[in-house]
Amino acid sequence: MIKLQGLVKQYGMNLVLRGVDLHVGAGEFVTLVGSNGAGKSTLMRVVATLLQPTSGKVQIGGWSLPKQAGRVRRHIGLVSHYSLLYGDLTAAENLTFFARLYQLDNQEERVMAALKKVGLYARQRDAVSTFSRGMVQRLTIARATLHEPDILLLDEPYTGLDQDASRLLDDLLRQEHENGRSILMITHDLSHGLNLCDRVAILNQGKIVCDVDSRTISPADFLDLYAEQTGSKKKVASHE
Amino acid sequence: MNEQVTNQKKTSESREFITAVFSVVWKDLRIERHTRQTVSVMVMFSVVTVIMFNFALESNLDAARNVSTGLLWATILLAGTLGLNRSMALEQENQTMDALLIAPVPRNAIYLGKVISITLFTLALELILIMLFIIFFNKPMWRPMVLLILVLGTIGYIAAGVIVTSMTIQTRSKEVLLPVLLLPLALPLVLPASMGVAAYMFPQQPVWSEVQSAIFIVIIYDILMLTAGFLTYRFVVES
Repeated sequence: MIKLQGLVKQYGMNLVLRGVDLHVGAGEFVTLVGSNGAGKSTLMRVVATLLQPTSGKVQIGGWSLPKQAGRVRRHIGLVSHYSLLYGDLTAAENLTFFARLYQLDNQEERVMAALKKVGLYARQRDAVSTFSRGMVQRLTIARATLHEPDILLLDEPYTGLDQDASRLLDDLLRQEHENGRSILMITHDLSHGLNLCDRVAILNQGKIVCDVDSRTISPADFLDLYAEQTGSKKKVASHE
Repeated sequence: MNEQVTNQKKTSESREFITAVFSVVWKDLRIERHTRQTVSVMVMFSVVTVIMFNFALESNLDAARNVSTGLLWATILLAGTLGLNRSMALEQENQTMDALLIAPVPRNAIYLGKVISITLFTLALELILIMLFIIFFNKPMWRPMVLLILVLGTIGYIAAGVIVTSMTIQTRSKEVLLPVLLLPLALPLVLPASMGVAAYMFPQQPVWSEVQSAIFIVIIYDILMLTAGFLTYRFVVES
């Protein structure tokens, strides 16, 4: 579904991604973790067709980026730490707008079904600006999956969520995974990163330094591996 | 057979394009219906400006009447920058521009949708301005040709404004940069447009040959800016 080969992204003299190789299969949930500045968000923006790669191969669902970005867009949904929703519109209006933009059939039914799925049916006429952070994030998932994309891209989706809201988000993501969507999540939150996914990869200084099956590694071992690969253990030690 | 398939594809693409344009317009009008922030800010600014000039030039009513066409366009330009800034800033809040950009719609559909919605807001403002100019300066504004020049001038100004605002909105000094870049760009439009309107400010109507060149320049400016927007908007928003 997602295939990155030697992906390089450079801003001026700043080399952010230095030859990233990553593969996310159909129905697979892959989490990419890394510290601040590792290049996670840049990588996500390239995969989401928002940035053009400097070099390397990016294939999404068999289509190449950036040439076939128009085709790829119909098959991806993006959940970011920004809601990508209009605060002044109601929940239903937001989803209706995106249903129109994606030119979906049975728009009203789809919008209502999406609102029910994320538990916001009763708040459909309320402006998004009146929602809590957790409710906004649930509506964001409804927006991102309204057109039933094959691939769901999650960019730090847990930012600003309390424990209850995080748990609700976990359930929604688990449901999306069970529905067969391929999911690529980037996060710096290691616990959430490991819980839901099939595979977990570590991005450090613009390169994938480790890619493991999350079912074969315990959270404690993964923390050690992460510290070893990113050098965070050394940093802590040197501070001490 | 191949030709039929190509024609069907073209029809479907055109339908998708038009749907995308009007989805953006629908969204902007809905937001305005809920908040009334864009038009109300533009109207407040314009009303204050017109009243201020009316009192400043009260002692010299002839001077007031002579400068009223220039004042009308200056007010539209400055109020227009407020509308442009507000409407494009909406797409920066919660990064909604990203949501538009990952949707499978052509970038120039987003551009055209924005041009239409901001033009509608500016035309609503102009209706109020026309009333004010009739009341304060006793000018015969309610004439079809005056209205036509205002509509054409507004389309050109907003067509240029959406391109420039889309560039400046991502910078830190967007409030300063927009008028600095946009107003000189609007000069080739505003000069003939205000000359065209001024020609209709006398009791006797001008003959067509007196205003045709001004109106043609405005139309050519509109076509140039809309074409530039269509061709370059993709690079503006993706860079």
